[in-house]
Order: sequence, then structure tokens, then C-alpha cells
Amino acid sequence: MKVRSLTRMEKYLLAIIAVYSVVVTIANPAFLTFETLLDMVRAASGTLILASGVLVVLISGGIDVSFTAIAIIGGYVSVRLMLSTGINSLLFASAISCLIGLACGLINALIIHCFHLPTLIATLGTSSVFYGVMTTFMGTKGVNASQMPSSMVDFGGCQLFVIPAKSGTTYGLTVFIIPVVIILIVTWFILYRTMLGRGIFALGNSEEAANRAGFNLLNIRLFIYSFMGVVAGIMGIVYVSEVRWVNPIALVGTELSIIASVVIGGAKLSGGEGTIFGTILGVLIIKLLNSTLVFLGLSSSWNDFFIGIILIASVAVTSYQARLKNRRDLIFTE
Amino acid sequence: MVMYSYLGQEAVTRLNQQACKSARDFLREVPRVEIFIEVHSVSGKYLQIPEGRLSILMDRTIVSANNITKSFVSVRALDNVSVSINRGEIRCLAGENGSGKSTFVKVVAGVLAPDSGEIVVNNNSYPKLTPIGAINEGIQVIYQDLSLFPHMTVAENIAMNKMVAVHKRLVNWDEVYRVAEEQLELIGHLLDLKAQVGTLSVGNRQIVAICRALSLNAKVLFMDEPTTALTQKEIDRLLSIVMDLKAKGLSIIFISHKLNEIFEVADYITIFRDGKKVGDFENKALDKKSLTYHMTGREVEYPRYRRVSNDDLPLLEVRNLTRNGNYKNISFKLQKGDILGITGIRGSGRSELALSLFGLNPPNSGEILVKGRPFNIKIPDDAVNQGIVLMPEDRQTEGLFLKKSLKENISSTILDRIKTKAGFIDRKKQEEIAAGSVKKLKIRTQSVDTLVRNLSGGNQQKTVLAKWVATGPELFILDSPTVGVDIGSKAEIYELIHRFASEGMGIILISDELEEILANCNKVLVMYAGEILEILTEKDLDKPDVGEHILAVMSRSRIVDSAEKFKNGEAIPR
Repeated sequence: MKVRSLTRMEKYLLAIIAVYSVVVTIANPAFLTFETLLDMVRAASGTLILASGVLVVLISGGIDVSFTAIAIIGGYVSVRLMLSTGINSLLFASAISCLIGLACGLINALIIHCFHLPTLIATLGTSSVFYGVMTTFMGTKGVNASQMPSSMVDFGGCQLFVIPAKSGTTYGLTVFIIPVVIILIVTWFILYRTMLGRGIFALGNSEEAANRAGFNLLNIRLFIYSFMGVVAGIMGIVYVSEVRWVNPIALVGTELSIIASVVIGGAKLSGGEGTIFGTILGVLIIKLLNSTLVFLGLSSSWNDFFIGIILIASVAVTSYQARLKNRRDLIFTE
Repeated sequence: MVMYSYLGQEAVTRLNQQACKSARDFLREVPRVEIFIEVHSVSGKYLQIPEGRLSILMDRTIVSANNITKSFVSVRALDNVSVSINRGEIRCLAGENGSGKSTFVKVVAGVLAPDSGEIVVNNNSYPKLTPIGAINEGIQVIYQDLSLFPHMTVAENIAMNKMVAVHKRLVNWDEVYRVAEEQLELIGHLLDLKAQVGTLSVGNRQIVAICRALSLNAKVLFMDEPTTALTQKEIDRLLSIVMDLKAKGLSIIFISHKLNEIFEVADYITIFRDGKKVGDFENKALDKKSLTYHMTGREVEYPRYRRVSNDDLPLLEVRNLTRNGNYKNISFKLQKGDILGITGIRGSGRSELALSLFGLNPPNSGEILVKGRPFNIKIPDDAVNQGIVLMPEDRQTEGLFLKKSLKENISSTILDRIKTKAGFIDRKKQEEIAAGSVKKLKIRTQSVDTLVRNLSGGNQQKTVLAKWVATGPELFILDSPTVGVDIGSKAEIYELIHRFASEGMGIILISDELEEILANCNKVLVMYAGEILEILTEKDLDKPDVGEHILAVMSRSRIVDSAEKFKNGEAIPR
């Protein structure tokens, strides 16, 4: 594989991460340890999984806000089913969760395609519907740690390798890295190595042109939203395994911050642009802030503040550059 | 040579297809053009042809649309139209907006299904084509919007449609680059395969679109107003590519409003009017006048403008205006009732100058005097307050709210004037003003509530005019006011411009169409590379050879231009 050069956004992000890490390390040398790194990988796993799906949706020129609902529905329903059927198998849970995600995604795609709805409105609607159906039929009773199926708890605690820490405890690399890496590779492969992926880019560039080129837009949309649904389903399992209890109202409401991290990573809300590496950097930068404000002696309530600043700055920078370029071409858009 | 083998191959295929008939029947069936094919061994159950030279007669027609009728709700867009297209010819479709040209193209491309009639392609008859069916028969359309993917590379844009057409599942990037390179080589043009299409000039985008069409083995290529947004140099290049493709045996259907282009490339001209075909003409059988007559159904004359105002106070005076990199040392005076033409090729600084007078693109030095007083125009608001308005070249993106109604568009510049005491819009007043403008400017529309995007190009342009005239301007800058406007509407727009000027408005008319400049202006600046090369007065414009003179100045510039580019090492376009 030929290695492409980094996009401008990716370079900015890498620079920011580097500078920020140096600052934090100077402020608090405890930051620069292997343990912090592995900790961040664990914290970023779920977001990275969702972000791959979000990236695909954004590249297609759409926006999906129902994926957090799908993720928690997948996690919650599969745990409840495990408890009621007594099947204590991670595979079973994953299958259930993925199927739920697939079904929800297909519904999203059909609604968007058949009624020509703006994707934001459509998924805003379906996320309430999905969530409403779940709470109506399954209730909103939480599942506490002691009730959690052992297969999930084991999965959540499993580590690929373990290193003893000085304090006597141990730390290691979470097993979540496996689904994360697989999903990232699959996403990359689909986007850059299949005609389906190029169709997704084409759709995001210009729906009309994609249609005239002979792409089957229904199939492409079915794929995009069911892919989003399935990765949301996987994330649901990873999430409940990680926290080891299920609160059916968790996750919902965090969708915009995940979309924000993908946008920070260089994906355009107008579609047609976005890279996997940028997405990874976008997620990392947010997680880095999340976990390092403590090192700087700031309370975690500063979190949203900084994320907002970065989001606005990153979007403003690209838009300003576009404006400068337009001015050079004598196009006045403001 | 290409023609020979291409037709030969097809004839052999056809011979095989017809194997059940006797060779004699086959030969009788398709008369018209005699071609020779070299047969080495053709044999089948019922057909045996000895080796040697065989003379067969082959049909010249590649596509014929017979008796096509297509109606939309209440309008008959095409009325029993028959057109046949021969191999290796350039056929221009001429007609005013709404005459049925675009509908015809869409029917042949399979985008629209005709109500009746048939389309015969390569001797296969279809009551209606599908888009894929048309592509498989070798019909390609390059739409006006080009349908490219701006964030994708040149290579991918060229190869994408082909990959889709052959039902690829995986992307083979080497193949993508190979296909793109082949096609670019075919038309003898260099482009950076990895450049994003969105960063290319419109002319180069056009070339990408042509390559894409060719990659799908196009035999018939429709081009819908391909030159509208191109510079003169790009137009020349495009037309030479078109001629090249014709020499390679391609049939090209060329749609343009520019009559001189039509005469430059066409073998045949098919004229449409009001959904009917007026006729097919050989290029030589027509001249501008007769072509115009057939298109509009009447004599269209562009009368010369004569200034009548005798108020000689300069409305606008520009002294040594310079904007680095755009234009330098521009000086001129404009009086009431003047129509000042600024002409020059695209990039000569004409549009850049206009933007500066309107408060965009601020100049670096020099003076602008409005009614004798120096005035610093920093933002468009300043200009509008001084009674200066600008009609931009690109009406679709810069001049109109396409998805809003006619009345909302017209009143968009005068909201302050039509507001009630409570600050709401006075709907009655809005409607009155709109209705007045519609009448005054002869905008053809069903009502003032019609969405602007549903109007024809000419009427859209009149709407932009109406919008600014509503503010009661003293100086009106018009940048290429008739781009993409048909001949009939053009005459009406000229008439309006003359009337405004006669009523005392000062007008700056920017255009690269000589005819437009000569018909409308009583003073002309010829610009080149940011400088005024010549100022022509009313007296100069009265000379009989003034048209040739302006052209000579402009074409001399063109040679200088390419020589300069060559010196700077810019000869190879990106």
C-alpha cells in the first residue's frame, strides 16, 4: 500500500497533540507514562468504534444522531435477554446487539431514501422511536454489577498483556483494542478499496452526479446506515462490558460530541471528505483533554468548554481558508 | 483509418447477427454509404462469404429519434420531432430557451421517457431508453453542470463511471490511473491525475468530463452549453478537441447560444422552436440572420444605442485606479445616459474592476469620484447608498434566491422601503412593486409568486435587473448580462438597458461579446492584462470597421498573452 501524505488537518492535529502532551508533561510528569497511554486506549475504544460509523455517514453527506440510542438499546436488550434466557455467551450478546443495530440502520436508510428526508431530521425522529419502543417493551430498569452476566464482565476486564505497576496494582492493554482495530481496518478497506466505498464518497460529493454515474443510491444508503447500526451494536456490547452495569439512559445525548470529534478530525458536514487517520486523531484529542485536565489541576467541568473551543477553532480555520481562497478567485460569499 | 476499422468491426458483427438471412438480403436492407471491409474468413451455418474484399453498404445514421412527442403537465415540450444523427458529424442544436432542446437531449439520453415515438440507435429500436441503456449504446451526455465529484481526484472522476458500468466491486487504483491517463492522452491533454477536481478551472473540468464520457466508449456525445463559463482560450481549446473527436469518428451534438461557435464547428444545424423542429440545415446554408430568424420566428435586430441626455456632469470618474495583480492605472469618466462598455477577455481585469467599483475587491491606489466628489467605497453598502449597483455575472449563485418567489427576489433590495411601522413587510406594497416590475421589464411569469428557479434564463436575468432597478440606481454595472440568455430575451434586455440609459441612468456594461458591446455602448474601453489598451468614443464606434478593429486588438492581445505565458513557463496547463 502506498502511504499517502497527511492532510493539512491531520498535520494540525498531530501538532496540537504533540504540543499539548509536552505542556501537560511539564506541568505534571506523571502524565507521560505507558499506563496513561493504555488507559487512554481503553477510554477511547467505544468512541473510536462509533466514530468509524459516523465517519462513513458524514462522508456520504449525511448525519446520524440515532447511533447512541441504537448502541444502548443493543447493549441493554442483549443483557436483559442473556439474563432471561440464561445464555451466558458474549457471542450471543454480540449477535443480538448487531442484529438490532442492523435492523435500526436499515429502517433509517429506508426512511431517508424513500421520503427524501434530511438525514438529521430522519434520525432524530427514529432515535426517539427506537428508544421509545425499547423503554415501552423492556422498561428502564437498570442492571447492576452483581447481576451482570459473567461473560461480559470477563470480556470487560480482559487484557491482552498485563504489567505490574509500582503501586502494587497492575495495568494492561484492553482486549477492546481488537474490535477497534478490526472495525477501523474494515472501514478503511470499504472506503478506499471497494466501489461501494467510492460510491459513498461520490454520494457525499454530489448526489446528482452519483446517480448519473450509475451508482445504486438505495443500496449505498442501506449500507451506510446499517453499517452505522452494526458498529453501534458492537459498541453497545463493549460499553456495557466496560462499565459492568447497564443504565438504559446512558450514552444517549453524547452523540453530538462523537460527531464533533469526527468533524475535528477533518470530516466535512457537507460530505465527500474525511479520513480514518483524521478521525482517530480527532477522537484522541478529545480523550486526551478528557483525561489530562486533571493533570493540569483543572476540574473535569472544563471538559466541554475545551472541546467546544477546539471544535469551533478547527471548523473556523478550514472555513477561513476556504474564504481566503474564494476571495482570491473573486468569489464573495459573505 | 479509425473510421474504417470501427465500422468494419461493426459490420462483421452485424453480418454474424444476420447470419440467418442471406447476405443479399442484408445488403439490400442497409443502403446509403458504401464502405469496404477486408474479410478473412466469415462462415456460419447459413452464411458463407469467401475471403477477399467485400463491398457492403452501411447505414450512416447512428441515432435517429423518430416522431418524438413529450408533454409536461400542460406544455408540449416536444411535438412530433424527428432528428437523425450521422456518424462522425457535429450537429448543433439551436433554439431559444424552452424550445425543447434540453428535453430532446434528455429523451435520447434515457432520462425522460417520450409519450410517443421511437429512438433507433445502432439499428436497435426503443420506444424509450433508460439511462443505462443509452450508455450501453454509446450515448453520453455532458450536462451543463458537468456532474463531477469536486473532492475526488481527476483520475477517479474520469474512471469512476466506467468502473460502475462494468460492475466492479473492488477498486483497482492502478487501473483507475491507467484509464484516466489513456483518455487524457487520447485527447492530447495534460492534467495532474491526483489534483482534486474542485481546484481545477472550469475549462479543465470540462476536459475531465469529456474524458469520462470517452472512457465509456462514447459514440455519440451530447454537450449542453459547454462553453458558457469558459475563457476564450479555453473555448478555442475545447472546440479544437471537439473537431478532433469528430475526426476520430465520434458524433457530437453541440448545444450553444453562441452563434459564432455554432458556425465554427457545425456540419449540420438542427433548429428548434416552441417544441417543434424548424428544420435541419447545412452549416453553409445559414448565416447569423437566417439562423436567428428560424430560432425566433421573427427578425431580431439589435439597434445601436445613441445617447440623448445632455447633462454632462460626470456621474463617475475613476483616476489611476490600481489593484495589484488585477488591473492598473484605470482612468475613465462616465456621464448620465452613458453606456460604457468594458470589453476584454476573461482575466483582463474587467470583472475585477467592476467588483472594486461596487466595494468588493478594494483597490490599492487611485481615486473614485462620484458626482465629482471623491468617495471611498469600502463595502457594497457604501456603493448602494451612492446609487451604484452591480449585477454579477453568475446570476444563479450571486444574483438570485432561486428557491424564493419572484416578488421576494424583487423586493429583497428594498426591504427598508416596504416595511410597515411595526417593522413587518408590507405584503401589499411588496406585491405592487413586483407586479409593476413584471410589467415594466416584461418578465414572463405566471404570477409574482412563481419561484425564480422555475423561470427561464432570460426571465431570471430580467428578475435580477428588476431587483436592482427597484432601488432606483444612478449607476448600474452589468457584468455579462446575457450569458446563457437566448436571442429573443437578449433583444429585450438590450431594449431595457437602452431605456434605463435614456432615462438618465449611467451604465457600465462588461462583456466579451462584440455584438453586445457594439449594439449597446456609446463608449468602449478595451482592456487587456489589467490595462486599458484603447478607449473608443462614439465617433470611433461609428466607423464601419470598428468591429474588426476591436477584434484585432483583442486577438493581438491573445497572441501576446500566450507568448507571455510561454515565457513564464505556464504553457502546460495544470
